[in-house]
Amino acid sequence: MREATIPPPASRHRSVGHWRPLRTGGLLAVAVAFVGWCVFPFYIMITTALKTDPQIFAWPPVWLFHPVLRNMQNAFFVVGGRSALFFLMNSIIVTAVSTILAVLLGSMTAYGLARFHFPGDRNIAFFILSTRFAPPVAFVIPTYVLVERVGLLDTRLALIIVYTAANVSFVTWILRGFFVDIPKEIEEAALVDGYRHIEIFWRVALPLIKPGVITTGILCAVFSWNEFLYAMILTQSRASTLPVYLSQFSGSTTLVWDQYMAVGVIAVLPVLLAAWWLEKHLVRGMTFGAVR
Amino acid sequence: MPAIEFLSVTKRYPDGTVAVSSLDLAIEPAEYVCLLGPSGCGKSSTLRMLAGLEEVSEGELRLDGRAINGLPAQRRDMAMVFENYALYPHLNVFDNIAMPLVARGRAASEICTRVARVAEALQISDLLKRYPAQLSGGQRQRVGVGRAIVRRPSTFLLDEPFGHLEAYLRLQLRAEFRRLHERLGTTTLHITHDHEEAAAVSDRIAVIEQGRLQQFGTFLELLDNPVNRFVAEFIGSPPINLLPAQLTGSENGPCVKVGPAKVPLPMARTAGLSQAVASEQLTFGVRPEDVYFDTQDTSETLFGDVVAIEPQGDFSLITVDITVGTIRAMMSSTTILRRGQRVGLRFDVSRAHLFAADGHSLLVPPVRPAGKAR
Repeated sequence: MREATIPPPASRHRSVGHWRPLRTGGLLAVAVAFVGWCVFPFYIMITTALKTDPQIFAWPPVWLFHPVLRNMQNAFFVVGGRSALFFLMNSIIVTAVSTILAVLLGSMTAYGLARFHFPGDRNIAFFILSTRFAPPVAFVIPTYVLVERVGLLDTRLALIIVYTAANVSFVTWILRGFFVDIPKEIEEAALVDGYRHIEIFWRVALPLIKPGVITTGILCAVFSWNEFLYAMILTQSRASTLPVYLSQFSGSTTLVWDQYMAVGVIAVLPVLLAAWWLEKHLVRGMTFGAVR
Repeated sequence: MPAIEFLSVTKRYPDGTVAVSSLDLAIEPAEYVCLLGPSGCGKSSTLRMLAGLEEVSEGELRLDGRAINGLPAQRRDMAMVFENYALYPHLNVFDNIAMPLVARGRAASEICTRVARVAEALQISDLLKRYPAQLSGGQRQRVGVGRAIVRRPSTFLLDEPFGHLEAYLRLQLRAEFRRLHERLGTTTLHITHDHEEAAAVSDRIAVIEQGRLQQFGTFLELLDNPVNRFVAEFIGSPPINLLPAQLTGSENGPCVKVGPAKVPLPMARTAGLSQAVASEQLTFGVRPEDVYFDTQDTSETLFGDVVAIEPQGDFSLITVDITVGTIRAMMSSTTILRRGQRVGLRFDVSRAHLFAADGHSLLVPPVRPAGKAR
């Protein structure tokens, strides 16, 4: 039965040519549907942030309206005594510092593990990976106790340390592969040219895997930016990040949709802009290993 | 005092492989030496130990009389050219060449003038802004050479520098390397598996096989007086003819029996022959240029059929089938031969070789007449 459905080669060839426009159109339709599916929530979020309260709940939905900036202004300047700007700054500082630290420490660790062989190097590599085996929620209480004891509760430093620790293992494992892929001769050439290992790391190895560094940096930043659990537990107000602030909009009975969405836009925008700016590195980084 | 000395240097890898086995080699200042051998013979390990990229397992390595076993690579003041160029892909040609100067903290103005001068000498001035990925193989290797000569190192290490290049580029770069050496006078160690390349560039050649130094001398010394069968086979083009032989005696002294022919050996060359080898299966070696056609039928003439004629220009390479093997002979192209023709062959025994069963050479080295190149 099944064999009977396969047309002979000659006619199949002709039929491909005949169906090509239809196939392309079909693929396009699927792609458009998929992109629409992904983008629609963003569209709703952005438009809701720019609507008035009655417009938000109108049925059928209001597609054409005069955007109002009141919600955005509220988000930035009033709401509950502290503006979103304050939490945005917390998020930016915590994310930037923890990402830079994680990439710095992780890349050095990765280089060491990739290039030098010493007793126990495999065990160390495995230990670094093993820190990610358990779900983060398992460590929330011990971490809270530790942070409380050293007096860092509700500080950005506490979040920076926790996020850096979480990301270092990830950075190490990803970048180790990149470093291993660098032809050994290039680094040997640098040695003969008169460079020490630490100089080779900075001047040769790290620049060579720049796409990989940027890709892992973006992933770390996204993690730190979105992290909610630890930020919720370790901060109360002074060091809270945007995800924590966002959660406060959902009261027990109501949701302040317009302001909620306005802050949501503020939370998403920096990541979107950063991804857009670094897009070419992101794509190159993902294919780096395959096509060297 | 030699510029570079290997004193019983051995390289043993962690898996137990012995790449270099108690190597003794002394390279004079400003000498251009080739390490010649088949791939995997340990010549690369030798070079890498000298560069400081591999540790010496046993023995001592000396630079200008000073032991350098423990000296890190970056402090040995050597420059290396790699087979696969090993350029820095993220830097343009200018920065690639400038890297050794940057490492030494030279002033920017000095770096600029020196890189410019080197680029001009290597004819890559118009490529300084390009990246390695945008260059051809020959251009890349020029950049690699530029990076090596931009400072005045104590030693040049060349690891199969022409390995990935096309034939005509090799010929061109060979001559350039030799010219560069004449100009700079830097001690140079060059690795290759191509004996013609070694002959073209070097002052002396060290033939290495299975981690052991077989012979160290000029190309002509190796050609005329190979210490063993390996060196005889490895050096010379077209390759030497090797035929099974036995030692016999005659009223005129010792003879070599090759197939049905009895070839008398000149007395001057038989001094080292002992009766011990009389019973052994020996190998008679004669280079194609020392084979002659002979119309007379004497006891020392070998007969065979011409099976192939390869014109090479002034001479042709003739392959003759004899009962105990094949012989290649170099003939003037004016000699008219046809395939299938039966010919008689004789050898110039004053330049032939005889090897024992273990491969070592048995005859006293021939004397090369002054003025005769080949």
